[in-house]
Amino acid sequence: MAMLKTILGNLLRPSRTRDPADMPDVPPVYRGALAHDAARCTACGTCAFVCAPKAISFTQDPGVSVSWHFFIGQCSFCGLCAQNCPTQAISLNADVPAGMDSAAGDGLRLESVVHLQPCTRCGAAHVPLPDATMAVLWGTEEAERGYCPDCRRWAASARLRSAFVPAAAEEVHHER
Amino acid sequence: MPYSFPLGPYHPALEEPFKVKVQCRGEVIDSATVEVGFSFRGIELLAQKRNWVEVITLIERVCGICSNTHAMTFCIAAETIAGIEIPKRAAHIRTIIAELERLHSHLLWAGVGAEDIGFHSLFMEVFSLRELVMDMLEAISGNRVNYGMNCIGGVLRDIPDPARYLPALDALSKGLAEIVIPTFTENPTALARTRGVGRLNREQAVDWAVVGPVARASGLDIDVRKDQPYLSYTDLGFRSVVREEGDVLARVVVRALEMVESLRMIREALLSLPAGPLRATEGLPEIPVGEATIRTEAPRGEAFYYVASEGGATPARVKIRTPSFVNIPAIEAMVTGQPLADLSIIQASVDPCISCTDR
Ligand code: SF4
Ligand code: SF4
Repeated sequence: MAMLKTILGNLLRPSRTRDPADMPDVPPVYRGALAHDAARCTACGTCAFVCAPKAISFTQDPGVSVSWHFFIGQCSFCGLCAQNCPTQAISLNADVPAGMDSAAGDGLRLESVVHLQPCTRCGAAHVPLPDATMAVLWGTEEAERGYCPDCRRWAASARLRSAFVPAAAEEVHHER
Repeated sequence: MPYSFPLGPYHPALEEPFKVKVQCRGEVIDSATVEVGFSFRGIELLAQKRNWVEVITLIERVCGICSNTHAMTFCIAAETIAGIEIPKRAAHIRTIIAELERLHSHLLWAGVGAEDIGFHSLFMEVFSLRELVMDMLEAISGNRVNYGMNCIGGVLRDIPDPARYLPALDALSKGLAEIVIPTFTENPTALARTRGVGRLNREQAVDWAVVGPVARASGLDIDVRKDQPYLSYTDLGFRSVVREEGDVLARVVVRALEMVESLRMIREALLSLPAGPLRATEGLPEIPVGEATIRTEAPRGEAFYYVASEGGATPARVKIRTPSFVNIPAIEAMVTGQPLADLSIIQASVDPCISCTDR
């Protein structure tokens, strides 16, 4: 009897196998295809530091550029790179990640070239900060936007000095 | 005439490699020897070569089923060394994920167990229920396995809308109460293959030092969630499930009732999710010199972690003892005197996880 009921019930119910259209929603936190925005990257190396399988690496063309590399065959889609990147240059999106043939060789490789810029004060090649970060730090007009990290430190201490010793402000100006 | 043969390492019943050498007299097993170590990966050594953030990703791969347990226990150990107290909300979220993981692990086991006794329709029922749990885990963490929820100091992801998951919990409770539990405990086919099979009595359980559901099915009331409560288990009023019989059926019943208790705790934790931050710390962790020994209750029993720090970028030592490591040898005691045909369900009743045993 119980079996008859089950059979009847199953005949009247729709199929329990999901069809392609009946997919669970892709959750907003889904960790899929990885994307990197070279314009926001400062080549700080945080992403490579937190990446356990070493899917992210860097190469340099001294004085010209730093390249950010990603190899999908080593990525475990943990999402830590995106979570720890201070400038949100990396994101793991809802798209399906590209295929990979083997952990050693074939598969998607991403490369982003981060061009170095000469410092507007001393000329040293450096990675510029992303616009958004600079806007927060110095507004949009400041001369310091083009400085290298050393000159930024110099400028900061000069500002500090002029705050304590007002007369020194003039001196700083002459020095330039 | 007695004869012996090796079963495995490529296993007819399980997807993971371990070898059982059985001595038989006719149909009856005289003795058995279990060998593990076919998929050793050296995770403990690797952990000494990775920094504190990377180790969490690495440790999560100790096991494909209870991945969260390992990452969570390691994080608790690191937090204990650094004296970090995680926010209440993070503790609740960790508990929810840990219990969801127990549900999916126990359901997976129930499915494999059903398959082992040739009960395919029950396998399909159980796995369609398990899919509900997987969908919940994916909705919360973004992944079906290796959730990546834990970081030192709290959790990485929030549960923004806890009430959303209640209908799925209702469907699970209904499925468990109406299909899984009655079939395993009342269906003559299932009972014939499980009742009185693979006995491990209380004394043997103590001798073999088994943990988790295997111990609780032999009358030993040990459960870290009750004996040494961590996370939110005290708030949620956890009650352990114990059976005296010590056979395969008792292990089934213990796991089934544990799922009911897990469902209750998940529901309560979701409804009482405290407001507040997810992490107690910002940025990359710095762990001072120290050591910590932490036990948690993984789905298969007590997971034990010893973590030592010398204050450097990497842990100085990560020692992992997983529950299957102590449960698997007890198979030798369970199969003695049993028919050969019951070997596969007896092995499965321990819920052996080779991935974590070999780590
Ligand atoms: S992607 Fe982000 S974390 Fe990685 S180097 Fe660039 S800025 Fe740093
Ligand atoms: S998602 Fe994880 S494994 Fe993949 S590149 Fe980022 S940090 Fe590395």
